[in-house]
Amino acid sequence: MIPFILKRIFISIPVIFVLATITFCIMRITPGGPFDKDKAIPPEIKANIEAKYHLDRPLWSQYFYYMKGLIQGDLGPSYKYLGRSVTDIIKDSLPVSVELGLYAAFLAFLLGIPLGIIAAYKHGTWLDSSSMFIAISGITLPSFLVAALLIYFFSFKMGWFPAGLWEGGWEYKILPVAALGLRPVAIIARLMRTSMLDVIKADYVRTARAKGLSEFPVILKHVLKNSLIPVITISGPLLAGIITGSFVIEHVFAIPGMAKHFILAVTNRDYPLIMGVTLIYAVLLILANILVDVLYAVIDPRIKVS
Amino acid sequence: MKKIYGIILALIILVIAWNFFGPKKFHSHPEKEFRFVIASEPPTLDWSLATDNVSADILFNLMEGLIQFDSDLNVKPALAERWDISSDGKRYTFHLRSDALWTDGKPILASHFVDGWERLLNPKTASDYAYFLFDVKNAKEYNAGKLTDFDTVGIHAQDDHTLVVDLWHPASYFLKIPFFWVTFPIRKDIIEQFKDAWTDPKNIVTCGPFRLKEWKHDYSVTLEANPSYYGEKPKISTATAYIINEDSTALSLYDTNKVDLIRRIPPLLISHYKNLADYKNSPFLRGYYYGMNVKKKPFTDSRIRKAFSLAIDRSQLSTILQGNQIPTSSWIPKGMFGYDETIGLKFDKEKAQLLLAQAGYPKGEHFPSIKMVYDTRDDNKIIAEFLQSQWKEHLNVTVSIDNQEWKVHLKMLETNPPELWRLGWGADFPDPDNFMNLFTSYSGNNHTQWKNKEYDQLIEEAAKELDSQKRLTLYQKAQHLLTEEDVPIIPLFIDSQNVLLKSYVKGYTLNPMSNNILKNISISKND
Amino acid sequence: MNTLWSDAFKTLSKNKPALLSLFFIIFIILVALFANLLAPYGYEIQNPSQRLMFPNRTFWMGTDILGRDLLSRVIYGSRMSISVGLIVAICSLIVGTLYGSLSGYVGGKIDNLLMRIVDILYTFPSLLLIILIRVIFGQGLFGIFLALTIVGWVDVSRIVRGQVLQLKEMAFIEAARAVGVKNRFIIFKHILPNILGPIIVTLTFEIPAAILSESFLSFIGLGLQPPFSSWGSLANDGFQAFKSFPHLIIFPGFSIFLTVLAFNLLGDGLRDALDPKLKNA
Repeated sequence: MIPFILKRIFISIPVIFVLATITFCIMRITPGGPFDKDKAIPPEIKANIEAKYHLDRPLWSQYFYYMKGLIQGDLGPSYKYLGRSVTDIIKDSLPVSVELGLYAAFLAFLLGIPLGIIAAYKHGTWLDSSSMFIAISGITLPSFLVAALLIYFFSFKMGWFPAGLWEGGWEYKILPVAALGLRPVAIIARLMRTSMLDVIKADYVRTARAKGLSEFPVILKHVLKNSLIPVITISGPLLAGIITGSFVIEHVFAIPGMAKHFILAVTNRDYPLIMGVTLIYAVLLILANILVDVLYAVIDPRIKVS
Repeated sequence: MKKIYGIILALIILVIAWNFFGPKKFHSHPEKEFRFVIASEPPTLDWSLATDNVSADILFNLMEGLIQFDSDLNVKPALAERWDISSDGKRYTFHLRSDALWTDGKPILASHFVDGWERLLNPKTASDYAYFLFDVKNAKEYNAGKLTDFDTVGIHAQDDHTLVVDLWHPASYFLKIPFFWVTFPIRKDIIEQFKDAWTDPKNIVTCGPFRLKEWKHDYSVTLEANPSYYGEKPKISTATAYIINEDSTALSLYDTNKVDLIRRIPPLLISHYKNLADYKNSPFLRGYYYGMNVKKKPFTDSRIRKAFSLAIDRSQLSTILQGNQIPTSSWIPKGMFGYDETIGLKFDKEKAQLLLAQAGYPKGEHFPSIKMVYDTRDDNKIIAEFLQSQWKEHLNVTVSIDNQEWKVHLKMLETNPPELWRLGWGADFPDPDNFMNLFTSYSGNNHTQWKNKEYDQLIEEAAKELDSQKRLTLYQKAQHLLTEEDVPIIPLFIDSQNVLLKSYVKGYTLNPMSNNILKNISISKND
Repeated sequence: MNTLWSDAFKTLSKNKPALLSLFFIIFIILVALFANLLAPYGYEIQNPSQRLMFPNRTFWMGTDILGRDLLSRVIYGSRMSISVGLIVAICSLIVGTLYGSLSGYVGGKIDNLLMRIVDILYTFPSLLLIILIRVIFGQGLFGIFLALTIVGWVDVSRIVRGQVLQLKEMAFIEAARAVGVKNRFIIFKHILPNILGPIIVTLTFEIPAAILSESFLSFIGLGLQPPFSSWGSLANDGFQAFKSFPHLIIFPGFSIFLTVLAFNLLGDGLRDALDPKLKNA
């Protein structure tokens, strides 16, 4: 197992470097620079700023300078939040996003899997269509609308939960987690349903049924385990997506997470921060995928880790 | 044994149930805590480097400079208890008060100001706002690296409590400059000791009415009353700024009593709050305008520029924007010396059509296709759509609308401005020079390509003129040139501040610079 | 082939939600096509005296801050939303199908290389990529199509490649290869028709995804801008005022909801109908 993990990590390193290079190039052809502001500054001051951040050097030299830092684990200083390093910013904000994301993912599995099972088990009945309807509703609304509706009803009309902020109490977490989790619930429920339908039709399940095994053990033992595999496959990228893709939720609920930096870093042209969040996302995704492969092996010993 | 399990289980259920259904812990917040909203994370609290209003909202409470403004923007003593200006207007001598202390107990000395100004001008600091001191002798040269000996620059500590500043030339606005945070004194020893981390709450040393208690990045900044402040101590013990980007969230939190002050209300909602006692409104020294590129057809013809300005019924803007913005056809904003509402081209449809016809486009026929460009923002969009319909209706001219992301917009204005574009200008200090300077031929902010020697001369003269009556006449002439004769810009309105403040908060005043001053606040909840 | 499609149609016609969705989609497309005939007012006619009105007899959906009729704007908005959905989905599909089938069919080193590229694109945070492209290519329609397509085609190419890999091993393809049928002929005549089912299903899911992505872009200020307005940008215009003027967000939001729902239900129905594994159940 460990050699496998090491190998996977090893082959991901070039991916990270190619990614860093591409990001560096795209970012630099984007018009506008980090220090352009609505108030023009005299050329001599602009020269001082560019010298301070080595932006006066040729682009290739800046590239190698950045890469050299990256190899040493230095993501550079932020150009917008003066005096803070990109590592600091990520260290402060990533845990919040991870916490929020894990709750949402937990919610997604907790609701999504049973919904999918019910739908598949009662395939073609009203239970199937209604659980799928619930599931689909989760992906049919733009997340800002979901957030607006939740705030309107639960915080404004009912006064049950605060309309924002992240003070640590559970009451601050319920609305954002619900808003963030709705979409993954839908994705998982649908996936679970399809994959379960596939498995139910498979020969070995029919054989088990034919042998007279009662319904419930069949579902539990044969069907559930096998139909979880696609759900596990998608859970890696899904988790990475939830953690980094919660921009709207963090924005609307004023949560100090990392997702906002994917947008703010670009609008501020904060080059080192753009690089930083891109690389963190890639690393998260790669790690999540490795974890998924390991989980496969645990769930289904027939799949050889190779 | 079973009993014990049962009891434990029951207890757990009870605790959970209590948590969920028990009386809500609406801890009515202590009387001395003030909570307000800022729109973004302060980019820095290093006052030599800060360039933005959000950082300023915090810094103006942590620090003080030589002077301060009262709510009508008159210059009042702060760390300098008095000052003398030489008769030629070139030498300023500030006498510092001797009882002012830093939060670590050390006295504030004139040398701390010299250190601050040295740091601001040092090319290695690379501060945007170094140019605020460029009127000071040799400051620009030091900043450009041409001079390396700071003793040659015109700022010296005559003794521990006397600061002498020498300028190149008289500058009528100079006394307002030291209100600006970049001119505040610094503690070089602290900065050298902690490097980039010197603005962390545990390291920072300040001298204002509040000190920095906590800074949760991207979430909140908490200030607490500074016991060693020389003046009257604040009546509140802490002030917490929550960082909330989304205005509607800020509003929801205000409505549910989670915050006491918000300083931005979405235009759609102003009408909804307007009649509440909580609603406060005041002008804001910021102008909103559309510029024209006078090197691009058809705006090479001043008659067409005039026609475009004349064809807008600006009075409608206040109903659209709802926030008591002041429609204006002149450039110096209300609340600033030199404001004159009679100047500028007022709405006159017939005259506009006539001018357009004289320029060769009777009834707007064969008018070339042009576009107006704004930076993407909801209110800009509404205004652009309004202007578009005004020109269509009154001139029969079709202007297409384009928009782009903010930094792309700036880049384009710098390199190749389109025919018609939006921009705004907020006052750095409350003096007309800060506004009128914008359209001089040598200003980096003049994207109109309009260059007028007479205008340049008027502005330079007015800057050096110490007699306010003469100054006023100079600015009248310049404004006339800018908004009536040559018209490279179409001023639209002067912005306003729209805030909601809980009625139990007293002592918070709005000044036209929108400075967020918390030291006079008190909270009294008697209900 | 024919029986497969007619069977599929039969299954679909028994699936009431999917059928209803199909009719709804046709209806929305008709609305989009004939927006200029259906809208009671022009979508940009401003009426200063009738700003921010609640739904009433003259203005069924109320008016916005400039006094424009919301119903007309929603009707015209369908044009933008539907065309963003269709164009992005079709572009992603074309690129993804060509790329995926090429990769799967050729196999070997080229497949490896092509899939490496996909892997790298996959590790790129799509949000960041979309924003960068929007910023570089400006705020027009083209920028939206390009940004959403670049993100959308990757998934398609993976699905198609998987299908092609399965098909390649099948006897009739191997036979065709053995007798020396040209590759291009095999791809277009044998492989693509056989994976048409999954492609159509993917299409019905890509369209609503693109509509939602556009509304997200509107929310962060990078969506469609005047003179265009989509449901997403209309809903976003009303977002800040949802407590006081809920109609501004509810009508466009509801349009998004129904349309996306319809596409999803139709997609589910199509998948059930076109999936041979499920039919013999």
